[in-house]
Amino acid sequence: MRKYSDVEYLKLSKSKRFLYRFLSFFAGIPGAVWGFIKKIGLAVKGGVSAVGNEFKDVFTTFKNGDWKTRLSYLIMGFGCLARGQILRGLLFLLFEIVFIIYMVVAGAHWLSLLPTLGTKGPSVEYNAVYDQYVTTYNDNSFKILLYGVLTIFFIIAFIYTWRVNVKQNRIAEGILKSGKKLKSGRDDLRSLVDDNFHKTLLALPLTGIIIFTVLPIVFMILVAFTNYDGSHDGYYNNLFTWVGLDNFNTMLSWEAAGGGQSYAATFGEILSWTLIWAFFATFSNYFLGMLVAMMINKKGVYLKKVWRTILVMTIAIPQFISLLYVSKMFAKNGIVNGALLDLNLITKPLPFWEKAGWARVMVILINIWIGIPYLMLIATGILMNIPADLYESAKIDGASGWQQYRKITLPYMLFVTGPYLLTSFTSNMNNFNVIYLLTGGAPTNSAASTAAGSVGYTDLLITWLFKITTGPEAQYYMASVVGIMVFVVVAVISLIVYNLLPSVKNEEDFQ
Amino acid sequence: MKKFLALMLALVMILALAACKNSGNESADPTEAAQPGDQTGELAGTYDIKVWVAEAAVDLTKKQIDKFNETNTDGIVINATIDAVSEADAGTNMITDVEAGGDLFCFAQDQFARLVKASALAKLGVSAAQAVTEANDPGVVAAATVGDELWAYPLTSDNGYFMYYDKSVIPESDIDSMEKLIADCEAANKYFAFEMNTSAWYLASFFFATGCKSEWTTDDEGGFESVNDTFDSPEGLIAVKGMKKLVDSPCHLSSSKASEFASGAAIVVTGTWDYETAKEALGDNMGVADLPSFEVDGTEYHLGSYNGCKLMGVKPQTDAKKGAALHKLAQYLTSEECQMERFNELAWGPSNKNAQASEAVQANPALAALIAQAPYSVPQGQIHGSWWDIAKVIADDVKAATDEAGLQAALDNYKAKIDGLFNMSDDEKNAWSVIGAICGTNWDTDFDMTETESGIFQSEPLELHAGEELKVRQGKSWDVSFGNGAENFVVEADGTYIVQFDSAAETVTLIAQ
Repeated sequence: MRKYSDVEYLKLSKSKRFLYRFLSFFAGIPGAVWGFIKKIGLAVKGGVSAVGNEFKDVFTTFKNGDWKTRLSYLIMGFGCLARGQILRGLLFLLFEIVFIIYMVVAGAHWLSLLPTLGTKGPSVEYNAVYDQYVTTYNDNSFKILLYGVLTIFFIIAFIYTWRVNVKQNRIAEGILKSGKKLKSGRDDLRSLVDDNFHKTLLALPLTGIIIFTVLPIVFMILVAFTNYDGSHDGYYNNLFTWVGLDNFNTMLSWEAAGGGQSYAATFGEILSWTLIWAFFATFSNYFLGMLVAMMINKKGVYLKKVWRTILVMTIAIPQFISLLYVSKMFAKNGIVNGALLDLNLITKPLPFWEKAGWARVMVILINIWIGIPYLMLIATGILMNIPADLYESAKIDGASGWQQYRKITLPYMLFVTGPYLLTSFTSNMNNFNVIYLLTGGAPTNSAASTAAGSVGYTDLLITWLFKITTGPEAQYYMASVVGIMVFVVVAVISLIVYNLLPSVKNEEDFQ
Repeated sequence: MKKFLALMLALVMILALAACKNSGNESADPTEAAQPGDQTGELAGTYDIKVWVAEAAVDLTKKQIDKFNETNTDGIVINATIDAVSEADAGTNMITDVEAGGDLFCFAQDQFARLVKASALAKLGVSAAQAVTEANDPGVVAAATVGDELWAYPLTSDNGYFMYYDKSVIPESDIDSMEKLIADCEAANKYFAFEMNTSAWYLASFFFATGCKSEWTTDDEGGFESVNDTFDSPEGLIAVKGMKKLVDSPCHLSSSKASEFASGAAIVVTGTWDYETAKEALGDNMGVADLPSFEVDGTEYHLGSYNGCKLMGVKPQTDAKKGAALHKLAQYLTSEECQMERFNELAWGPSNKNAQASEAVQANPALAALIAQAPYSVPQGQIHGSWWDIAKVIADDVKAATDEAGLQAALDNYKAKIDGLFNMSDDEKNAWSVIGAICGTNWDTDFDMTETESGIFQSEPLELHAGEELKVRQGKSWDVSFGNGAENFVVEADGTYIVQFDSAAETVTLIAQ
């Protein structure tokens, strides 16, 4: 497709411009995909050559280094010690000793069991002396997986430290060759509060993140490749083991599962409702919140603070209370149906939570009620920031209220709150509270419910995940698969939308 | 500071690995000569244990444990921490984390098979099993049995449901007919609370009314082997027709809480545990009765019910001595004495035969209604944990159905899910396999066969010995099986054979290799 120049484009009629943009979007797709693949290719190539360089460096350092350097390859920190950098040398040596002791005492044990996740399950024997059945517990798949992963982390840390140790030797040799003096232990310590202060500050947070965030995530991802569930808990009943990609195959297969529809169909249904929900929950809150803020901000509106306070009250009450209460209010024998019946407006109770369509609309509406105040607060601040002269000159030019909104207010708002919109979209996709407390997923979707747990028409992926974990079969592995899928979906959407945001694309617009 | 602490903890964890590696288990020498059932070990000592009971029973259980400490003759001193965990949640909580679970815990019967399967229950010793079997009502003993062995102590025998109603709304003459009850409720703008969409336990009532069955069989470890389920049948269709009358009524409320009396209900179907709540809400207007009948095509069907119980379980122990002490305590807490105390304070219906026969128990109105309902009730055996989720969907499907075909579809959907539980595809159901006392197995392992030509199935070469018996069966079940006719096939001489089955002639032959 031919690309028009700006002048050509401006000459086109409105409908042709739209057609042109529409077609050029699709014409651009192959190029964008190819660009993406090329980017990945370049990244891989870069990664490979970086690793290759590391190996080359290790090799040349050994070839060109003196005997102190060479011995350091075996005894970490030897070079530093021999060159008088006692503190560094001792730390390296200490790390090596701790590593070796750990590997001998425990690490090797866990690592050797990691490929099988244990071979000997628990056993029960009759003890005649006490007239009792006594249980003996043996391997623990859960611990094997956890400590196995921990050991691998430790090994990676060791390799990294060893590499640093080699590099240190090369650098020290270079410095000595050029006739300068090496840093002493005291210099090293001083640098920790001076030019290396960032390392001091980041050391603990980084360790914390690795141990409390990265390690559990890796562990949970690995669960998706095992058969860890209620009847394979790894210690008390049966051991669990690796099953490769079986769980992903099940999740993505179109074969009917457990008498119901296939997992892929269920996943598709829930995913599409999740996206619909996230879309409506985000944008209804966004625009209505903005509208409320503008109404309150309008000149001549009295009691501004009172209106704001009333709306903010919904934030002050914990969702656990307000949502559960609202859910009861709309129950079949709840206060809303009761009042409507008493007023003779209806002859039988309305099925707020009993029909799929009703329940879906209800959760979106109730979410508006609890979501608007947040948006109102954000919008109030931003709206006050828009320079008043923009509006004044617009008025002089004869712009209507709607035009002012479209050309001034909305672009300004979108520019500032674009990233917020994105985060609220992703957090709405994972909005467990609203769905679980209001409907618990009801009404039940009978075709999608299987032995793994019941599925409802208002279930999001995240509440489905919860139901799988707490279902009768406690399929942790399936929950982990769903978790990974949710991550993929959220990541893809976030990346695409993020790059389309005005705040990213046109960074200079409002500066 | 937090991070620092966390780092320290992580280090401690790493150092502790060495200790975790082989946590030793000490158990007394099992070879010591003793008759099964004779407990010879010394039990005196102090035991720190955790007990899970329903919130209402916490204080009473505390008193009972104190009394046990005073009266037991073995010198056992129990130092118990008592947590309130409802009987409905105990099973799930135990399965989620056995380690943190109570050493003694009370649970509703529906979770029993799951708990056995998850190895969260310790089997009863020989003498304890004997005592429990003798003292309790046989239905309850069956409920605590998997395979041939007892795994838990019966605590109550009152887990059934019947009807509480508001006498000021419902005339006594109408309580036998569901249609009249619905009409009364609609006329008075009141609700008829009968839990349907959210609980299969109540929903099954309609099916039992028309004589449908859902009976499950388990193996010795609590795993489910097969089900005899007739919900999808002409009787089942009658049942859902009756159910449709109720769920379609604007006055139907899917709930089983007596507290609904305060928010517009005139009838609530629930059990003995709600007696006090109902009494409080209705006062002298409270009526208690067995469930009504519904009418389909001119025939009356009296609504059925489940008749279940609550059980007390002991967590598996690695220390035989502590296990024995725990079992002694569990036995005491489920004895006639403690069950009567529970009846007097909490109105829990006893499972002990003597306690059941006592006058006070016979005179309780809620238990009287339960007894009136008894002829229509079905003892609740072991039921697959997923059944509850699968069956409750029927109510939603029935409500959505517009004609008889829709009702039948609800049953078909249910049936497909039940069959799906045993994870057998049509291929697996039609597949043939060899089973027998062969190759070191004892009628517990199937050797697959492949179809070599149409109607001819062959096994892999098997090493067989003279006198060994085997059969060929279809779908790993005994519905269709062949040996020497209907008898087992007996191997005549040692050797390696391929077992061949001709499905047209229905004959089994051995082909020597």
